[in-house]
Amino acid sequence: MTERILGILQEAFTRILAASIQVTLPLTIIGFTLAMVIAMIMALVQYAKVPVLTQIARLYIWIFRGTPLLVQLFLAYFGLPKLGIVMDAFPCAVMVFALNEGAYCSETMRSALESVSEGQIEAGYCAGMNYLQIMWHVVLPQAFRTAFPPLSNSLISMLKDTSLAATITVADMFMAAQRVVGRTYEPLWVYIEVALVYLFFSTLLTILQRAGEKRLGFFTSKEVNTKKEVRA
Amino acid sequence: MSFFEVKDVKKTFGTNDVLLGIDLSVDKGDVIAVLGPSGSGKTTFLRCINFLEKATGGTMTFDGETFDLAHIKKKEIAKIRKKTGFVFQSYNLFLNKTALQNVMLGLTSGRKMKKEEAKKIAEEMLEKVGLKERMNYYPGQLSGGQQQRVAIARALATSPEIIYFDEPTSALDPELIGEVLSVMKQLASEGMTMLVVTHEINFARNVANKIVFMDGGHVLEAGPSKEFFENPKNARTKEFLNNITTQHET
Ligand SMILES: Nc1ncnc2c1ncn2[C@@H]1O[C@H](COP(=O)(O)OP(=O)(O)O)[C@@H](O)[C@H]1O
Ligand SMILES: [Mg+2]
Repeated sequence: MTERILGILQEAFTRILAASIQVTLPLTIIGFTLAMVIAMIMALVQYAKVPVLTQIARLYIWIFRGTPLLVQLFLAYFGLPKLGIVMDAFPCAVMVFALNEGAYCSETMRSALESVSEGQIEAGYCAGMNYLQIMWHVVLPQAFRTAFPPLSNSLISMLKDTSLAATITVADMFMAAQRVVGRTYEPLWVYIEVALVYLFFSTLLTILQRAGEKRLGFFTSKEVNTKKEVRA
Repeated sequence: MSFFEVKDVKKTFGTNDVLLGIDLSVDKGDVIAVLGPSGSGKTTFLRCINFLEKATGGTMTFDGETFDLAHIKKKEIAKIRKKTGFVFQSYNLFLNKTALQNVMLGLTSGRKMKKEEAKKIAEEMLEKVGLKERMNYYPGQLSGGQQQRVAIARALATSPEIIYFDEPTSALDPELIGEVLSVMKQLASEGMTMLVVTHEINFARNVANKIVFMDGGHVLEAGPSKEFFENPKNARTKEFLNNITTQHET
């Protein structure tokens, strides 16, 4: 590796890192948080079988899971202005990622809610609890435990998928790399470099996921934790 | 005078008439064993009288108030449920809660009792079923027999006037049945009112004071336990008892 390439990589690293802090991470965090809110609402509406809203949720999920993310991005950024709806690239990307991810995650959450056995809900009623009390103390904690690993996987996927936002002019990590490549004609090394930065962030998230699963896994483990405080 | 009475309880699933009019009256301190072949509607009957299933018809009198089972209001259901306990065949413990929390939840959440007070009661109940040392274990860390005893403690904690049991030992390995039956026997001796669907013929014979024999959605025979076993009147009852004795001999 020549000194020239090392110089390019060093400069590119600063730009990639800046783009990650200014764009990729905010896009991921805001987009995913909104996706969780959307997913939670869509999942609960279906779980509680609320009429009309359930059908709306199904329609939304059907559309956003059935069409490519890239097409959704293009449609929102280049297509909607034809209807007079103009958005900046970043908020547009946040919206598309939130809606797309929300559709997938709502299915994860719905199946997690449904995986809590009917018998426990009946036992809750028999113990004198009402629907909301049962949801809060029994169903939601267990569903959260079940949904946590797949939702973490979704978050990691989304972090990587944000690179698609570069196609609608969002100046993310990948666009920062592309620009350096455009100037220097060093696609091999610079793209390896940006790949490694993505790898770093997804590894970090994987480690967090492991730690989270361990914390949440207490009630499914066979091991007895005698130190655990009692919180009823 | 019976404090609890149901009359003409009917249940239809689609076109399947499962309960064709069940009558039952219960006095304080009664231990009633409900016997009958599988598919005869025993579970459905228990579920209907605790409103886990909506009965198609029938009435219930509980502590002097009479309710129409097919048109009972949510509020009335909640009120009656606070006076009853239910023990399921499959325990149905809350998997995210320890044994102690399982027993406390009906008090703290269902009845807004203070935590310290609920904890005291829960510990007492777990002691009664012999599981105080296991109070911080999760259901997944307990054997089936232990889980069912926690479930009994959970039902007891809210001081119900009657506890319904739906085949409480049927899901257990044979060596674990005894510990659950002995807890139930102890409750019976303390005067707890219990309505027990069971296949444990010895429990029915030795612990129950009344027997209800169901088949095909009807009560075919009902009466004092001694009379039922020594002098069954109905032909189906005789056949059922014969089958059980031959099974036990082989
Ligand atoms: N939720 C249900 N939907 C339709 N049919 C049911 C349902 N629950 C029970 N049944 C039917 O009711 C009949 C009695 O069942 P059950 O009460 O479980 O009998 P038992 O407890 O005496 O074995 C069976 O024929 C069963 O198929
Ligand atoms: Mg049954």
